[in-house]
Amino acid sequence: MALISLLAVSAIIFWCVELLPGDAAERILGRNATPESLALLREKLHLNLSAGERYLRWLSALLSGDLGTSIVADRPVLDYISSRIANTALLSGFALLLYIPVSIALGVITAIYRGKMIDHAISAIVIVFMCLPEFVIGILLISIFAIKLAWLPPLALIGQAQSFGQLIQLIALPTVTIVAAMSAYAVRMMRESLIEVLESSYVLMARLKGLPTWRVLLFHALPNALGPAINITALNVAWMIGGVVVVEAVFEFPGIGRLMVDSISHKDVPVILAISMVMTGAYIATNLVADILVILLNPKLR
Amino acid sequence: MYGKDILRISRRKVLAGTGAALAAGPLSAALHVPKSWAQAKTLRIAAGEADGATGTMDPALSTADPDAARISLVFERLVVLDDTFSAAPQLATSWETNDKGDEWTFKLKDGVKFHDGEAFTAKHVIYTFKRLLDPKTASPGASSMSAIDPEGITALDDLTVRFKLKAATVEFPALIANRFTYILREGQPESELRTAGIGTGPFKVKHFVPGEDVSTYVKNENYWRPGLPKVDAVELRAIPEESARLAAIQSGQIDLVWDLGRAGVEDLKKNADIKVVTTRSPFVLTMSCWADTPPFDDVRVRQAMKYVVDREQMLQLVLRGYGNIGDDNPVAPWVQYALQVETRARDIEKAKALLAEAGHPDGIDIELYTSETTPGFIEMATLYQAMASEADIRVKLNKAPSNDYWSAVWLKQPFVCSSWSGRGADDALAAPYLSTSDWNETHWKRPEFDAFINEARATTDVAKRTELYQKAQQLLRDDGGAIISMFPDALGATRANVSGWKLHPQQSTKDFSEVEIG
Repeated sequence: MALISLLAVSAIIFWCVELLPGDAAERILGRNATPESLALLREKLHLNLSAGERYLRWLSALLSGDLGTSIVADRPVLDYISSRIANTALLSGFALLLYIPVSIALGVITAIYRGKMIDHAISAIVIVFMCLPEFVIGILLISIFAIKLAWLPPLALIGQAQSFGQLIQLIALPTVTIVAAMSAYAVRMMRESLIEVLESSYVLMARLKGLPTWRVLLFHALPNALGPAINITALNVAWMIGGVVVVEAVFEFPGIGRLMVDSISHKDVPVILAISMVMTGAYIATNLVADILVILLNPKLR
Repeated sequence: MYGKDILRISRRKVLAGTGAALAAGPLSAALHVPKSWAQAKTLRIAAGEADGATGTMDPALSTADPDAARISLVFERLVVLDDTFSAAPQLATSWETNDKGDEWTFKLKDGVKFHDGEAFTAKHVIYTFKRLLDPKTASPGASSMSAIDPEGITALDDLTVRFKLKAATVEFPALIANRFTYILREGQPESELRTAGIGTGPFKVKHFVPGEDVSTYVKNENYWRPGLPKVDAVELRAIPEESARLAAIQSGQIDLVWDLGRAGVEDLKKNADIKVVTTRSPFVLTMSCWADTPPFDDVRVRQAMKYVVDREQMLQLVLRGYGNIGDDNPVAPWVQYALQVETRARDIEKAKALLAEAGHPDGIDIELYTSETTPGFIEMATLYQAMASEADIRVKLNKAPSNDYWSAVWLKQPFVCSSWSGRGADDALAAPYLSTSDWNETHWKRPEFDAFINEARATTDVAKRTELYQKAQQLLRDDGGAIISMFPDALGATRANVSGWKLHPQQSTKDFSEVEIG
């Protein structure tokens, strides 16, 4: 099933890119193009083959494990995208590390203090972050923490990092931006389901048995309340892998999203296809992991 | 409501939690980044134009601004242009021509070495130019140097090169001082030229992979100019996002940027950590219409379109005063051979009269293409729309995507915004307006104009040559299809501890050899 999805995605993406006007040769030469230089470059890049032929060439190479060569950068696609994938994985990893405790903690606090000041305050902040586009959050964070206070560097130029500490500093602002944008739904979801669970009779039962508060919360209520939040998290992770392109642009982070945008604007088909395969794969994988987690947490589904 | 009751957390616990959070405060102080964020003697520069997978350091194929920076770190040319676009020596020490101007002999500098130790001699010059002109190289620069006969480039001895030209070209030394003619090392494999070129320049490539975010260069210890370069290493990256570029230089994450939008400059000027660097440039911002397509095929319409422009207002509103007024002539008044006449003043009545004479008593409706591809296009087009409407020239704006503006709109639509980087008089006139040019963006083809240029190129007498170039400019100004209302200054900035950097008005020339930190 997953393989069929991947194949279908690759074909759809390929034809969509075909529909875009112009070709890679024009995009590379830009305004310095002359008819002769265009013709030569097209031949060199095999752009004179028909679209069908190019797709089949790509597909047959893929089946033998070859992702092809970036026609613009003139280097193997695998080598080209792997460093970007690693960067995005790094950023996503840090974001997840921060996101999970923050979402759970805020979800629990708002559920326990439902209707109190602190619930209103947190809910309001969360909704504001939910409504603000990531680039606004990003630019706000830059102007406060990098320009005004000068605590952190404004751009995530991770090539400048000389140590792990510097890496953390460089990556802090984009991480916080992503978490701010991502946590909103999860916190809301946690709050709703936790409220529901806390009002159920088995929680009352647990309490009546004389269990301490933290035990009731951690081992009885939370696992049952996590289900919906995990599904949201899976969607969030998929979004993060492909969709943080805006965050990457604001912080000049060398990730996979920006590479995708660049490749589309250059019509670099092998790179576009490879990245969409990776993103589709990641999407399928995170959903699979989420489903498994939900099943593990809920004995009824086992 | 049992759940809520059960799980109430005592006030004491909350207070304890808050205390812990407060105690974490000093931690943030430990995170404080030193303001400079710098290591010693590495110059970190940022380009404003994107530098993606198309990046190269092959001089024959360079198109973008980051390419130009890379190339001028590593390579050098025979001849460079000075601030007024006159030829000045670099790897050549002197040159002379025969009486007709179709044979040029260059003396080369002795004792210059390539990065790998190879001595710089005539054969490298011959190799470079032959490769550049070879159709197989497909260099976009070849057509502008078509006057050179590839077979006529010969070495008289190790340090003397002679160029035989197909047509007399008095301005030949200036003609070859462009972004394509950096001298390569003969014998270096073609496959290495894109990413690991060997030149004679002040820096050697350390790491450059197209599509990766940063390229690095180290000092050439055997550089021929004594005491240079003054920094040990250079880091080059592109930060196309304007706000990000400004944040980077303000926080000291970057030491030097060479293109700034007008909007951010005022803020930077107030910042004591930053030095704003500007230079007068004949960079051309133009709106160009096809002189062979109605309604633009009538010279009176073209003149009316020029008379509606309030040039001073253009300068103030589009460029915030950082620039100079243009007079529909691509040769700025301070450049050699420039035509000196009074700038065309705004005259709405005259514009209306010209339109009526041309058979448009109710005015005309035209469509102007614009884009974000060059800073200022959108503002210029919007302001022009407002100015022109007073003379019943109704301009409809069409904002095209910037990523393929130069391939899909420019040269394809009859009325577009366009720009030309600063050039000397001959190049500025010939590249866009000669009837044989590939880039004739106004479809304006006048045999008299071509004749003036070609005659000027063959005229050795300076006064006569000046007169011919000026006649060409006068004709273009009165009859041509280009509305050139301003020449934006080049704007850049460095951290306050950086010195010795000058912005060159030729956009592709970027010399960092004299830049010093601290």
